[in-house]
Amino acid sequence: MAQGSPIVKSRREMLQTSALGFGQLALASLLAEDGEASTAGPAAQPSLLEPRVPRLAPRARRVIFLFMLGGPSHLDTFDPKPRLDREHGKPLPFPKRKIKFDGTGNLLRSPWKFRRYGQSGGEVSDLFPQVARRVDDLCIIRSMHGTNVAHGAAVLKLHTGSDTFVRPSLGSWILYGLGTENQNLPGFITICPNLGYGGVKNWSSAFLPAPYQGIPLANSAVPPERAVVRFLENPRISRSLQRRQLDMLREISRDQLRQTGPNLELEGRIDSFELAFRMQTEMPEIQDITAETAATRKLYGLDEQATANFGRQCLLARRFAEQGVRFIQVTHSPQPGLWDQHHSLRADHERNARQVDRPIAGLLEDLKQRGLLDDTLVIWGGEFGRTPTVQGAYNERAGRDHNPDGFTIWLAGGGVKGGIRYGATDDYGYHAAENKVHLHDLHATILYLLGLDHEELTYHYAGRDFRLTDVHGETVTDIVS
Amino acid sequence: MMFSFCRPPLLSIVTCLGMVFLTGTLVHADEQFWALQPPAEPSPVVLEDSSWAATPLDALVLAKLEEKQLRPAPPADRRTLLRRVTFSLTGLPPTSAEVAAFLADDSPLAFTQVVDRLLASPRYGERWGRHWLDVARYADSNGLDENYAYATAWRYRDYVIAAWNAGKPYDQFVTEQLAGDLLPVSPDASMHQEHLIATGFLALGPKFLAEKDPQKMEMDIIDEQIDTFGRVLMGLTLGCARCHDHKFDPISTEDYYGLAGIFKSTRTMEHFIKFARWYENPLPPRDSRENSPTALGATEREVVDVPVHRGGSHRDLGITVPRRFPTVLAGDQQQPFGPRRSGRLRLARWLFAGDHPLTARVMVNRLWRWHFGAGLVRTTNNFGILGDVPENQPLLDWLARRFMENGWSIKAMQRLILLSQTYQMSDRYDAQAARIDPENRLHWRWSARRLEAEVIRDALLAVSGRLDSTMGGSLLQTENRKHVFHHSQPDNTRYDFSRRSVYLPVIRNNLYDVFSLFDYADASMINGDRPTTTVAPQALFLLNSDLVYQATEQMADKLLAERLTKPEDRIQQLYLRVYGRPATDREVARARSFLEQSVTDLMASGGTPQSARLGAWQLFCQILIAADEFIYLR
Repeated sequence: MAQGSPIVKSRREMLQTSALGFGQLALASLLAEDGEASTAGPAAQPSLLEPRVPRLAPRARRVIFLFMLGGPSHLDTFDPKPRLDREHGKPLPFPKRKIKFDGTGNLLRSPWKFRRYGQSGGEVSDLFPQVARRVDDLCIIRSMHGTNVAHGAAVLKLHTGSDTFVRPSLGSWILYGLGTENQNLPGFITICPNLGYGGVKNWSSAFLPAPYQGIPLANSAVPPERAVVRFLENPRISRSLQRRQLDMLREISRDQLRQTGPNLELEGRIDSFELAFRMQTEMPEIQDITAETAATRKLYGLDEQATANFGRQCLLARRFAEQGVRFIQVTHSPQPGLWDQHHSLRADHERNARQVDRPIAGLLEDLKQRGLLDDTLVIWGGEFGRTPTVQGAYNERAGRDHNPDGFTIWLAGGGVKGGIRYGATDDYGYHAAENKVHLHDLHATILYLLGLDHEELTYHYAGRDFRLTDVHGETVTDIVS
Repeated sequence: MMFSFCRPPLLSIVTCLGMVFLTGTLVHADEQFWALQPPAEPSPVVLEDSSWAATPLDALVLAKLEEKQLRPAPPADRRTLLRRVTFSLTGLPPTSAEVAAFLADDSPLAFTQVVDRLLASPRYGERWGRHWLDVARYADSNGLDENYAYATAWRYRDYVIAAWNAGKPYDQFVTEQLAGDLLPVSPDASMHQEHLIATGFLALGPKFLAEKDPQKMEMDIIDEQIDTFGRVLMGLTLGCARCHDHKFDPISTEDYYGLAGIFKSTRTMEHFIKFARWYENPLPPRDSRENSPTALGATEREVVDVPVHRGGSHRDLGITVPRRFPTVLAGDQQQPFGPRRSGRLRLARWLFAGDHPLTARVMVNRLWRWHFGAGLVRTTNNFGILGDVPENQPLLDWLARRFMENGWSIKAMQRLILLSQTYQMSDRYDAQAARIDPENRLHWRWSARRLEAEVIRDALLAVSGRLDSTMGGSLLQTENRKHVFHHSQPDNTRYDFSRRSVYLPVIRNNLYDVFSLFDYADASMINGDRPTTTVAPQALFLLNSDLVYQATEQMADKLLAERLTKPEDRIQQLYLRVYGRPATDREVARARSFLEQSVTDLMASGGTPQSARLGAWQLFCQILIAADEFIYLR
């Protein structure tokens, strides 16, 4: 490990430190209350989640990842292909990939018009008229490519860097690298994640210590106004009675500590109860959006049925970001059919985009107004794009298949150049062609923007040092501002 | 003084070490890595003060302590010891009656009899079978992408529990799991069933069933099997050699693909076309009620040798490697594998033949880990160069040799460990020892540790009187090969049973809350050394969950229904039930004050005297459950 990256001692030592802060001070303070001084305790251990200054200059301090589950079509959103208009109905003039998810026919033009927006003149389709107005903030990477053609594997590849093995997720690696700024809240929160396609593995810490796992607010089956941390509420007793329980528990723990001698794990338990108690107050406060102004509600589309749910997810993301949460994921799992339009592309992509367009634009604008966009990296994308070739007949039911070989992900804020398009797919949008960016490269770049070197951020497990990017990944420095 | 071992009175199964002399710290031969040499009889040790060391095991522990001028902690008191060994062997707390009986028995064999009683209890197999299921990465669903129900996997789980209860020798246990289908067909249908079910070990792994590239899927599944075989049974990370020669251990890609041939000649899948289907062995019905049962597992298929896949890619093939064992372990003059059999049975026999350097060491180290909370080699799944080096290799080797000599008897090995002074030490803190050996690697005291997820739940149910001790069978609600859930269908798996935790469904990607909160984190990974984390969501569970509330309310209810007149008697009764000890005066006073204040509060907020009384006792029971003394094993 390089200088400045996390000080990692043995796994066991790490696990013995308290998970969410304060461990080493607890015994001293407890015994001090009793008029006894703490002596000969083990040396103070840094808390696993204490904020750390990375070795490289960080351009972003936190991440908001807007994940569009199912694979939104790059060809119908951010990567216009005039040749599809001209050659609509004709065959793709080169062979399709060998391993396909499903069969497809000839070329299919986009049902949506593209227009140029902003000073940068970036092209965005009519699916995203609101996001289009923020195009000067976007760094649109049009040359993304991955490896896997099936949802489950591709989703895991995007989140963990592996479609073969169980690996820590991106958010967990970042928490491991940087800790988090607010010790009263989890450092990695995922709002309404989907339990399918790898589910919990997409926010799991795998072999990294458990405090680096994402804490889910419910899941995609629960509307966001009811999405809370599990076991956060106790409707049976008053807060003051519970306080008395905790005080009693604290006294009992103190007795126990007198018998065992200094014990970081037991001290960590006392802290964990106190944090849990505080979270019961803090989380609902952050999730209570009643104090937001009418203008803000409008900005996120909270008062319209189509956008209310995703708007609330985005607003929560901003509120967590303000409170110093390190990594926040917002998942969009539109039903039925997700962003996975093997058929009915026109109707269902339109429905999906309508649900997220205003909230995303609102989030970008809100972050900017509050001065948060400069050090918040916003990421938008799905696990892959879609084929330029048609599934089904050329009618309203027409759809597109999965395409991991060329697609679009955009970044905004946090140290990336705004108003640029980076890389390109071929003339048909089938393969990434120019300045190709693999998912591993994206991961390396995200870490870089946060001040972490993807080759240095390693964790020793099962006989070797693991990285988010395995043995791959190159930082795309061209998009760094 | 010289310490001489005679046959220890409590351990008839132990072979004597004979005279032992001090040799100082063991130094590894540079050219020959320790773990690849057969375990050797330890050199003799001389002890300054041998009075403590009742068994050879203790002498080997004490020799290391004396090197650092450390002394072992005094023995644990009898209540603590009984609680420790009962949790250790059965995963449950001792009952008040068991505590009373043990305290009253002052025969020198009292503890031995407790150990024998617990080893014979059916609860033992449920506890230790669960440990094995951790390394067998047991689950009732596939996980990864398409999360289908493995609705016949429970048969493997029940097989494991029964095997531990029956004291099945380790060599037989492993051979059945790798090659049960290749053992001579038993005329006894239930034994034949067992053998087929055991091969579930190979088939239980997570798989990408929607992988569109059948060759990649096949090699990924084989890789998962090789990785499991290597790490679980030999402590070797063979998986590293899939793409390149192992960077640290002497395992080449040829070694890897030599093993891959054995697994590729083994059928655990029906086909690899999306959505792929795993294979299930038809089982001979044991009686007329069983209607063509099946169990996921392994059988033979066309025998093939596998070419090296350069960089792990099936599109870049090198030379074909005949099936064989890794050279570093089996040499380069190996008898070729025949063309008619995959070679799995031979693979299993090889693990237990002669002086295999790893098989016994890895397993005794696992047993040590599960008893003491940390292995002699801390990296229980990795004995390679990047793994941990044992602080006390003579002890590890001595245990490994006893294990082999005693016919791979697991229970005999556990008996040997449990009857040692080392196991029976107290956890008394010693500041100087803590400075010299902060991690307690040398065993100068007992290391207190948190109970595992399942044990916390089972203990909670046990002390509240709700535990249902029915054994075996499936509680999974989903049909075989059906989605347990997917992106738009919620998981309907139920956990609201009072059965022991080992029988609850294990759903990958959506594990039961209580399990995942307390570090049973991922049923896809080989888990030989569960971590202990302390995170706030655990506290939220203990404070706010229905499970804890209902159990503690039931405890309170039961306590109030008992014919005790004085509150202090109830408090005493509760401490005995929950902690196996009486409360101190200070604790009684504190409890009374808490109860009185809580009753007042609850009545002030509208409760009746009865409801307030029950409520206050529930709150108090909950505190005792949430406290360290209940959750930690001392």
